[in-house]
Amino acid sequence: MAQHKVNYTQDGGLPVALTSIDKIVNWGRSNSIWALTYGLACCGIEMMASGASRYDFDRFGTIFRASPRQADVMIVAGTLTKKHAEFIKRLYDQMTEPKWVISMGSCANTGGMFNTYATVQGVDRIIPVDLYLPGCAPRPETLQYGVMLLQKKIRANEASRAQKAKRLM
Amino acid sequence: MAQIKNRLTPFFENITFDREDNEMILNFGPQHPSAHGQLRLMLHLQQEQITKAHPDVGYLHRGMEKMAENMIYNEFMPTTDRMDYIASSSNNYGFALAVEKLVGLDVPRRAQVIRMMLLEINRLMSHLFWLATTALDIGAMTVFLFAFREREYLMDIIEGYCGARLTHAAIRIGGVPLDIQDSFISQLRIFLDKLPQNIKDYEDLLDTNRIWLMRMEEVGTIPTEMALSWGCTGPMLRASGVKWDIRKEEPYELYDEVEFDVPWSDKGDNFARYRIYMEEMRESAKILYQTIDMYQKCVKDGQTELMAHSPKYISAPKLDIMTQNYSLMQHFVLVTQGMRPPVGEVYVATESPKGELGFYINSQGGPYPYRLKMRAPSFWHTGILTDLLPGHYIPDVVSIIGTTNIVFGEVDR
Amino acid sequence: MRAYTPKDDVQAKAYYTDRFYVSPQVPKQKPESDEVFNADLEAIKAKFEVTDAYIQVEQLVIYINANDIYGVLELMRDELEYTQLSEMSAIDWLAKGNKFEIFYQMLSMNKRKRIRVKYFIENGQAVDSVEKLFRSADWSEREMFDMFGIEANGHPFMKRILMPYDWQGFPLLKTYPLQGDEFAAWYEVDKIYGKEARDIIGPELRDTAKVDRYDSERFARLGHEVPKGTKITGNEPKNEQNYQEDDGVFMIKKFDKKDSVVIDDPQR
Repeated sequence: MAQHKVNYTQDGGLPVALTSIDKIVNWGRSNSIWALTYGLACCGIEMMASGASRYDFDRFGTIFRASPRQADVMIVAGTLTKKHAEFIKRLYDQMTEPKWVISMGSCANTGGMFNTYATVQGVDRIIPVDLYLPGCAPRPETLQYGVMLLQKKIRANEASRAQKAKRLM
Repeated sequence: MAQIKNRLTPFFENITFDREDNEMILNFGPQHPSAHGQLRLMLHLQQEQITKAHPDVGYLHRGMEKMAENMIYNEFMPTTDRMDYIASSSNNYGFALAVEKLVGLDVPRRAQVIRMMLLEINRLMSHLFWLATTALDIGAMTVFLFAFREREYLMDIIEGYCGARLTHAAIRIGGVPLDIQDSFISQLRIFLDKLPQNIKDYEDLLDTNRIWLMRMEEVGTIPTEMALSWGCTGPMLRASGVKWDIRKEEPYELYDEVEFDVPWSDKGDNFARYRIYMEEMRESAKILYQTIDMYQKCVKDGQTELMAHSPKYISAPKLDIMTQNYSLMQHFVLVTQGMRPPVGEVYVATESPKGELGFYINSQGGPYPYRLKMRAPSFWHTGILTDLLPGHYIPDVVSIIGTTNIVFGEVDR
Repeated sequence: MRAYTPKDDVQAKAYYTDRFYVSPQVPKQKPESDEVFNADLEAIKAKFEVTDAYIQVEQLVIYINANDIYGVLELMRDELEYTQLSEMSAIDWLAKGNKFEIFYQMLSMNKRKRIRVKYFIENGQAVDSVEKLFRSADWSEREMFDMFGIEANGHPFMKRILMPYDWQGFPLLKTYPLQGDEFAAWYEVDKIYGKEARDIIGPELRDTAKVDRYDSERFARLGHEVPKGTKITGNEPKNEQNYQEDDGVFMIKKFDKKDSVVIDDPQR
């Protein structure tokens, strides 16, 4: 469990830390990844489960937002069909930079078991994807692991430099 | 920052004002947090009142019926999981039962008991999930967290049985693949013993809650004729005054041997539906207690068969496949070419948590079904929104969609 | 010689069928064997022509003429207590006789009986809508139109329901391939980015059996992930994935495996 009482005397006295701008910005970004609720199919249920009591996503600073304008990461959870494809593009465009995309589950990765006329074969045909989570459906643990990897990725980036927009084309 | 170039026209159709008659057209979805999936609703509004509703579905249409025509029967089983993904086993079961009726298989009793356990656990999971999401949509976050907590325990049990949390594929044509694990019954008992208190907790939170009552009572009333005409089944129909439960009226498996009541109401509003879901959870628990006894009796009687014996259609047990040449050959043919049911057609309805789940199979004697139509209850429960929403106000939309308990894997298939 | 593949049915076919194999039939009973069904059938026969009737798997199947469907369903609803239309759809028989078979699955809750009403129509012929009798036919007929291209006369809103409005082709026809035609393959790219983007985005990867050893992402092998575009030799060591960098994370406590607790009984 987390230690709730902050012990200021622990690491040499005062509550002051010296760091670079990069680190502090990345610290903020990586620990408050707000996700867009993008539950499309079965994986959306596991995404809800990871937000609910047992898996408790709030610990990671990940809070689900219903608006793309407040979200940092889009968790594409489920099958993307050709009818829906244009909306994912619209919503992705509405998100503010910097933004990341997690493709959750086989359907979003590659079309998965639905190798049919109506399914987009991989969400990366529409929007750029940062992280692919395998599984059908991935367990909530997989999503947690994915978010932690994404945090690591965010920390590895330079925050102060102007963000380069991610583009599929 | 410049937007990424694309061909999509600027999206101003979200809200349209028509100046002449002061009507507003509101576009709800297809990506809306309280739409329970990918529902798009075009609402014509006068002030806050809805005058016309036009549900648009198909955003999760993955072509399952087409897939079925291109797959052997056993191969299609995991695909049925993704229909109503909140209660996967009930879809597995509906499909398995239809094929069994088509070829005329007798399932061993022990497998039937295990199937009933899985079906009722799935019903509980589905209803708990319904309660959680609907309460969340109305604004009761606590109930969401409570109900998900209980649902996770059920998922542990199911996971111990089949290895998956959500997409079980736990029922095969002709029986079940595995016996239940050792801890199954003890874990289930612990859960069931706690369940009445848990349900009471939810009711204490909701039944007298002023907000909950205001958004549930007298909202979304479905008259009996409308429910029948729209093909509503399950809790939607039972809330509208028709006591019709396929488990009771056209019993399948061993449902004629267990004792349970069918809750129903003649109110037809959201609150009646909510009450029916709560009561059905209690009835499911009752059935589960009885199936535990039935299972233990099966064990005592020494019934070990889990799959039907039918060399033409069903593979032999693993031990026979490994030791007997003929069983191995037959297994090879059944896996590579698939079973070939007789020429004919069948429609079998089962009571899934959402309503009547029917599978229509037309077989022409080949290993692939010639036509497979899935009658998903949610499809019509979405359709009824066309007639149900006009006259209601915008906040009612969310609570009405919530209580219809629609799942879009099932609506669009 | 190349094997002949029929153009009028592109669905999966059994790769081997014994020449002498005769498939058995699902047994059919005469309608007289069930009192309730027989009475219903006589009532329908009194007013309409019934070309064939039998009981199969506990349900009565009757074949009628295409023009009579509204009358038959009205009779069944108003006089025979078949209050619900559970399901209706079509079966494609274009390869065999250039026709469609339409079925209506009726349910009587009072009698606890189900009847399937069926009839044949020619290719291109429209059916009579029963939407006035059963509202559920509203969406069913739209779905039938969407999937087979069969229109319903007198339907208030005859448009596609599952596929987008601008979709081409009718997916459940036997001539329509499972993985879609040329239009379907490029639908989302054309719509979002335009036709000129086809070359950049590339065709869909539809081969399910394709295994690429040099796949640069390899997300199926945890611990063996490599950056995109890396050449894979096949014997890279497994890299332990840590949630945090080795030198710690700014203002975040380092996770220590020794301090963590594994809960055995989740229901404790």
